Amino acid sequence: MTHEGVNPRRDRDDSWPPVRGDYTVGNPESGVAVVTLASQLSVKSAAISGPCKTENLGIEKIVANVISNCSIRFLLLCGVESKGHLPGNTLLALHRNGLDEQGRIVGSKGAIPFIQNLPPEAVRRFQKQVELIDRIGLEDEEEIEELIGEYNRLAQPYPDEPFQVVKRRVATSLAHFGEGDLLFGSEVVMDTSAWLISSEG
Amino acid sequence: MFRFKREQSVVNVAGLKFGGQPGEMPTVLCGTIFYQGHKVVQDEERGFFDSAAAERLVARQAELSEETLCPAVLHLYARTVEAFERYLGFAEDVWSGPVIIDSADAVTRGAAAGLISELGYADKTIYNSINLGTDEAEEQALKESEIDSAIILAYNPAEPGVDGSIRVLETGGSVRENGLIALAKDLGIGNLLIDPGVVPLGSGAGSALRFSIVAKARLGLPVGSGIHNAVSAWPWLRHKEAATRRCCDAAAAAMQLLSAADFLLYGPIENADFIFPAAALADILVAEAVQDLDIWPAADHPLQRLV
Repeated sequence: MTHEGVNPRRDRDDSWPPVRGDYTVGNPESGVAVVTLASQLSVKSAAISGPCKTENLGIEKIVANVISNCSIRFLLLCGVESKGHLPGNTLLALHRNGLDEQGRIVGSKGAIPFIQNLPPEAVRRFQKQVELIDRIGLEDEEEIEELIGEYNRLAQPYPDEPFQVVKRRVATSLAHFGEGDLLFGSEVVMDTSAWLISSEG
Repeated sequence: MFRFKREQSVVNVAGLKFGGQPGEMPTVLCGTIFYQGHKVVQDEERGFFDSAAAERLVARQAELSEETLCPAVLHLYARTVEAFERYLGFAEDVWSGPVIIDSADAVTRGAAAGLISELGYADKTIYNSINLGTDEAEEQALKESEIDSAIILAYNPAEPGVDGSIRVLETGGSVRENGLIALAKDLGIGNLLIDPGVVPLGSGAGSALRFSIVAKARLGLPVGSGIHNAVSAWPWLRHKEAATRRCCDAAAAAMQLLSAADFLLYGPIENADFIFPAAALADILVAEAVQDLDIWPAADHPLQRLV
């Protein structure tokens, strides 16, 4: 119930989740999100659920979609770990240790564990907003639903505005065509009168 | 169409050639077998598989290569070293061309490099891949092996886009002290094949197309990609009919070839039936387009046989 004259704080935008991906939205009011890693599992009662097979882009999408919904306070990691990429291990490392100056997820054993599209504040918010439940290996859908119910009862919305991740833009320099008239970037141009591509770097 | 000012090197792996100016050499097509979820695999940890079914797939790729003149490579994916042993034994029996060895697990890849050398298979092997995540243990394993051909993965999640990928090759970008090309040479790799690492649509998949042109212009090395990954990771397409998905795969492959790719990691080997004709078509169109630029197709180019 809301009171007249008071703007109720919203736990999420109508457009939530903001980042597209291979996931299923269940009950957006739920306090639990589920990552099924390399397993394809049917999860019904979570706010959002889906697989994650990579230790970089997949993780970014999870963080962006979780912190933009204040209802989500628990992130359940289950399913089979994706060998080599180790997104489960990487999520745990991100939550525990954060990023170094190069954007590498500290302590991850994944192959290329870097974050490119999240500002440091987003990672800090992720660390504060959610608690990770490490049940990597669990594929029993019934047990997963029970865990969602159990943690959902403990969840209170995060007391802040939803965090919207703005994709970091790559700094661009003014176009320099050199001797060419068609630009490919990275100092590579084409002289279209001769259809000749050359590097000026 | 276009030609590059910089000389384009041609890499020779066990007699199979990658590189050159667009329109000069046929595109090398690499089909993956024993990939994660491949139906022929019965036990991916130990490497048990339906050998008759696998042999049919390999034979079909060879047949299409023979018919179109697009050279083929067998791309072996394995989860464990034990699986690699079985897969390599199979490849030795049924495949005479080069193989790519690949695993998501760096320890498995490194151990496979040693195994390849023991089996005397190194001169036919392309290691996939040397990348930003290559650590000292993997470097050491590769250095001690006899492998001298590798795919260099220019994927740079710390600096997205074409410039970031070029930096990781040339200087190591913000992550490594030296570029991956210098690292590969230090590890004894003489045959370098460049791959930007294709991310999903919406995350920058398209940059692989421009990267191919830029990388060839700057480095003069053979470039290719697994553009198929952008198609297979597209959730919207996943529930469409098989014919629709195949059309998109073929279109993506042709676009990558139009963007100067020398090789294509075309995904599941089952896709050979439509990828080889699509690639041959693209090769012929490109070759015809550059003849006014004084580029002539090789004697074993699809243009010489299919038209």
